[in-house]
Amino acid sequence: MSEEFNVTPGSEGIDPAFWRGLTQRRISRRDAMKVAGLGAGSSFLFANAASGASLPNANVGNAKWWAKEKVHHQLNFANWPYYIDVLNGKHLSLEHFTKTTGIKVNYSEVIQDNSSFYSKIRPSLAAGQSTGYDIIVMTNNNPALGYLMELGWLVPLDHQLMSNFKKYAGPLVKNPSWDPGNKYSMAWQSGWTAVGYNSKVIKNPGNSIEILFDKKYKGQVGMMSDPFELGHAGLLAIGVEPVKSTESDWAKAAKKLQQQKSDGIVVAYYDQSYIGHLKNGDINISQAYSGDIFQANLNSKYKQLKLMLPHEGAMLWTDNMVIPLHAQNPRDAMMCMDFFYSPLTQAVVEYYNDYICPVPAARTELLHPTGWDAAALKKMAPAIGLPTTVTANSPIVFPSAASIAVTRNYFQFKNQEEIDAWNKLFLPIVQGA
Amino acid sequence: MEQTVPTNRPGGVVSRRPRGGIGKTLAPYLLSLPAGLWLLLLFIVPLGSLLIMSLKTCSPASGACTMTWNWGELPSSVSLYHAQFLTSFYFATFATIIDLALSFPIAYWIAFHGGRRKNFFLLMLLVPFFVSFIIRTIVWEFVLSNNGVVLHTLKHFHLLPQSFHILGTSVAVIAGLAYNYLPFTALPLYVALERIDHRVLEAAYDLYATRRAGFMRVVFPLTIPGIFAAFLLTFIPAFGDYVNQEILGGTANTMIGTVIQNSFLVNLDYAGGASLSAVLLAISLVGIYLYARLLGARTIEQYL
Repeated sequence: MSEEFNVTPGSEGIDPAFWRGLTQRRISRRDAMKVAGLGAGSSFLFANAASGASLPNANVGNAKWWAKEKVHHQLNFANWPYYIDVLNGKHLSLEHFTKTTGIKVNYSEVIQDNSSFYSKIRPSLAAGQSTGYDIIVMTNNNPALGYLMELGWLVPLDHQLMSNFKKYAGPLVKNPSWDPGNKYSMAWQSGWTAVGYNSKVIKNPGNSIEILFDKKYKGQVGMMSDPFELGHAGLLAIGVEPVKSTESDWAKAAKKLQQQKSDGIVVAYYDQSYIGHLKNGDINISQAYSGDIFQANLNSKYKQLKLMLPHEGAMLWTDNMVIPLHAQNPRDAMMCMDFFYSPLTQAVVEYYNDYICPVPAARTELLHPTGWDAAALKKMAPAIGLPTTVTANSPIVFPSAASIAVTRNYFQFKNQEEIDAWNKLFLPIVQGA
Repeated sequence: MEQTVPTNRPGGVVSRRPRGGIGKTLAPYLLSLPAGLWLLLLFIVPLGSLLIMSLKTCSPASGACTMTWNWGELPSSVSLYHAQFLTSFYFATFATIIDLALSFPIAYWIAFHGGRRKNFFLLMLLVPFFVSFIIRTIVWEFVLSNNGVVLHTLKHFHLLPQSFHILGTSVAVIAGLAYNYLPFTALPLYVALERIDHRVLEAAYDLYATRRAGFMRVVFPLTIPGIFAAFLLTFIPAFGDYVNQEILGGTANTMIGTVIQNSFLVNLDYAGGASLSAVLLAISLVGIYLYARLLGARTIEQYL
């Protein structure tokens, strides 16, 4: 009984992502990215892997297993909202995929935030059943992706079916630190968490993250309510490399952030709603996602919003396509995932999207399309209202070497205790009474 | 033969009597069965699950819970979040008092001077609340933002200093709570005022009561149960509310509802969320218990 009850407490309240979704024109795909587990202090998850107990995917995803899997000509793809090309409610990229492979894609934009989506698929996975999805997209800066890997709830990818990926994947997403060797995942898109500001008010932003902690801007700064994002801003500000940080660094970062709060610099800790407050002037500086600023700039009213990548570092997050265990159509899923690593496909997706493209070669496709993408880009142009060169030359979509140089990766939690320790330091800052 | 008739007759009655008796004793239970099942399935079972959950230890990763009789979770959640409980308590109290002060004159006017159009006036009071709770709160956020319609205009004419803001303050949260829960106060008050027999008031005037005395010694005492019902119906949901704080609040006024919401949806810490909910529930139950003791359990059902 209580196991069943486990599943639903979240659904009793209104999903916060839902009302956030209502308010945003084109909410970028991510929402709160939060960390797990203050309080319960349970750790038997990671212990499971450590003790060498056989994982549920022990005999899954090897060559023999993949050889038996057949194409079923259907695919259930769960992604974040507004994260793929859209034209009159249709996705030209997926239509082309269906046309060429005969695989019908049921594409649903059901992921509003990592934690709550994870809590929805978790009961099925725990019971050894299919989640109903063949591809899901999870972010690397949330424990959920780590949980899925550690618990053996993902299908290891068939590297025979990753020819596009092998050829075209960019350096930011190939063999990433959160999934060595791309055993389970291929990136969908990436983005930075950096500093956004209103250039009408902030004339000399400089290039330091210290701007978020400057008393000069008292009552003008917004920070993120996600303890993970917040903590990383603190780590960058005290000059620590996040990946190599220790618990004593975290404590120092928390102190810095607490000081920032008690100095009255921070107006509020925001989820995705920060962008609205930045637009309407409630705040003038904020931790910001790169894609949000780019999308705001598409509207002439919000041209004054600018993104700054601090020299101390800009956090890079990546959303990853993975195949959950017991997926019905894994081979179809593999084909689809690799299809999105064709530069032609990425050109079409990126023309609509505003995040870091996992395929650098898509840039030349945007400028000089060579195949089916030419017709698709032409069809989309009136709705997008900007030439493809804007996307091709956007430093947010195809980052420069200088931007890549300041890019930093998130700290990788090794066990639940670390997650709990992190939360105990940074959650009280957000949830202050 | 004649004797057998009377013995038979009572015998016949007796043979029917147990059936009638069982029916009579069972009837109230059978009649309350739907309500009882409702209560059991939708109140007792979830509540029990919540309490059981609060004693378990759960893994945020796999969601697996084991019963550890973790009684320590209850006091520890109180000590960790007592400040947020207090914030919620103050905010809910303020909002309820504001609601009572605002709704009483409205309900009084409609009940005593609404005439034939009472229902129309009541409807007017409720129309804004046909819109979803969350959308209404978001619209307030929009209206009250620094460069929104209200503040921008006032600042433009130098009626307010440039640095003045409402969003992010406790005032904004309390005002949001007061606004959103107004009908929960107004309706019980209206019911209490509406059912006052006007002849009682006329009798008071006949006995040379002034209008003030008539109100203080007749109308007001008769509405006290309604006021208390209004207080509970407003205070309890406002106490657990998280939407207003999330949308209108700032850095320093987190309410316990937000903490609970984050435990469940963000931290995936169901045990922690459950124990906070249990504490919240216990506090609310104390309020209901006090009501029942002071005013009798019977009076509450007139207003629900």
